[in-house]
Amino acid sequence: MPSVKKSPKVADVLIIGAGASGSIAAKHLAENGFDVVCLEQGGKVDNSEFWGDKPEWELMSQKRWHPNPNVRDLENDYPVDTSESDVNPLMYNAVGGSTILFAAHWQRFMPSDFRVKTLDGVADDWPITYEDLLPFYEEVDIEMGVSGLGGDPAYPPGKDFPLPPLPIGKIGMKAAEGMNKLGWHWWPGPNAIPSKPYDGRNQCVRRGACLTGCPDRAKASMDHTHWPKALAAGATLITGARVREITVNDEGLASGAIYIDRNGREREQKANVVIMCANGIGTPRLLLLSNTGRDSGGLANSTGLVGKNLMMHPYAAVSGKFDEPLESWLGPAGQTIHSMQWYETDASRGFVRGAKWNVMPSGGPLGMRAAYGGKALEDSWGENLHRNTKKVFGRSFEWGIIAEDLPDETNTVTIDPSLTDSDGIPAPKLTYKNSENTERLIDFHLEKAQEAMAAAGAIETSATRLMRDCGWHLMGTARMGNDPKTSVVNQYGQSHDVPNLYIYDGSVFVTSSGFNPTGTITAIALRSVKNLIANRRNQKVAA
Amino acid sequence: MSTKLDDNLRAVFAGIADFLIPEALGMPSASQVDVHGELADRILGLRPDLREDFMRGLKAAEGKSSEEAAQELNKSDPAALTAIGLVASAGYYMTSKVRELIGYKGQESRPEADPDATPEYVANGMLQQVIDRGAIFKPTPR
Repeated sequence: MPSVKKSPKVADVLIIGAGASGSIAAKHLAENGFDVVCLEQGGKVDNSEFWGDKPEWELMSQKRWHPNPNVRDLENDYPVDTSESDVNPLMYNAVGGSTILFAAHWQRFMPSDFRVKTLDGVADDWPITYEDLLPFYEEVDIEMGVSGLGGDPAYPPGKDFPLPPLPIGKIGMKAAEGMNKLGWHWWPGPNAIPSKPYDGRNQCVRRGACLTGCPDRAKASMDHTHWPKALAAGATLITGARVREITVNDEGLASGAIYIDRNGREREQKANVVIMCANGIGTPRLLLLSNTGRDSGGLANSTGLVGKNLMMHPYAAVSGKFDEPLESWLGPAGQTIHSMQWYETDASRGFVRGAKWNVMPSGGPLGMRAAYGGKALEDSWGENLHRNTKKVFGRSFEWGIIAEDLPDETNTVTIDPSLTDSDGIPAPKLTYKNSENTERLIDFHLEKAQEAMAAAGAIETSATRLMRDCGWHLMGTARMGNDPKTSVVNQYGQSHDVPNLYIYDGSVFVTSSGFNPTGTITAIALRSVKNLIANRRNQKVAA
Repeated sequence: MSTKLDDNLRAVFAGIADFLIPEALGMPSASQVDVHGELADRILGLRPDLREDFMRGLKAAEGKSSEEAAQELNKSDPAALTAIGLVASAGYYMTSKVRELIGYKGQESRPEADPDATPEYVANGMLQQVIDRGAIFKPTPR
């Protein structure tokens, strides 16, 4: 093993990961005078690298810009063993993290999401409420530049969004007409995509390519929204820094991290406080690899809960075909409208909790041609190719269904016994199965979404029960709570075991909700970092 | 295995591509928009991960009719046929002629001219119907 080259600098705060939560932490800490270092295993992405404005867009979406790291297979990615998982995890490793490729659906949880045990008798309540988080939701809306329309009856009253809603297009209108026929809820979906120029970013030009990176520097990825401000305030960002271990001193306090740079050199960054922001898989992976190595229980894990209760939001969909052109490739993508009609629990349905629905653009013609090897050729090729393209392309859209999956200790992130990343660091392994509650929930929602499509005038519908490549939302693997016996961190992300170690990413979620989580991840990170800043003088630090 | 797309293999590709994407229903065939020319080279350059399966399929198809080759590959080596089909269809739908025929300009820039304008669903009362149906959330229990 090469010798460890120690950096002379001891940071006030070391952040692991430059994605959604790490960016929030870096900006606010640096602006409040903290000496911040952030280690990010990926690099900086330039918007000119994206293909969304070029004819090759769909071709490149299927490999280089695929959200599944096992498909992309880049050096800055780490492999994930998914052989025992119903769902593939999706993420991106770079400055900005997975916001580089996210759809920017900027959702808040609903009040019931924080009180699942009290209301539904399952899982656990969060140590915070919707009302605790509301001011931070509203503050991050401004930091991100969220476009939306206030007054959604699915939420308690609050401040309006900083930007007007994006156009919902013909597909949004068509879906909304169907929902109104049924008397069901819908609302223009909030997106972290600017409908007007905002804070150095451009107005969205409505390409439907958000999921493969915005070539127009419009979408609110953290490399644009937060890192310029963090760096201007003095934060240090080290890219290509692949962390293999959080170090601990003799007192059991976190003292920094050992990482491998892109020249293969092992380096050490010391710090007084360490904040984990490496997502719901990366954070438990590193904690399990830290302390005394692979065979230990890992760092901050006296409960044994690090890596357990993985939640990934199974995603189902109903697609509808219409007999009129809907320009259904038109962006942003982004959501046009959402619905929480069937979100809250109704015990008579035979399951608890629910799902958020969203309408998104359908992409280009090539996406319709994916994965047909082994099927009868005449089904997909020959004259039928032209027939199907004319019939479906631009004339179909999907109701996507984000199913709330409840925490289950058998759904886990563990350390794979043989798989490693390109630096030889052991890779994570996922074990993830849908519960019976989730199966019933999906069956119910698929039936309702087909009703919604029929009401909108679809001439044909088809259902996808579980999209395997859907694990965008990585949550629950280091849950927060008031009781150190049943949670890993407190409500401010502070480890119960290691008082100068924090976790700010989706690992801290107690339950998953049925919503895209980045809005809540950033609100929790903001609340947590403000608490850290306010209590800086009381913070126990590594000597 | 050689990865060079020589004239012979290029002709094999054109044949299979035309079997998969024929001239029909007012649409040109794959070779009529030259998917087997520079487009194929460009696609394989951008997606080197496709090359091995693509070339293996073409070599297996040499000396057979296009239909026979495609049907056999579909049964015995679907990965190869998938690669051939992807190169063909990706090139096909990238051409301006085909895009024009299916009414698709690609992911064009079409910004909203007046982002502050009242949305149609507000102006026509559609959203008011949702508001009138009332709140649908359960408040935080006290």
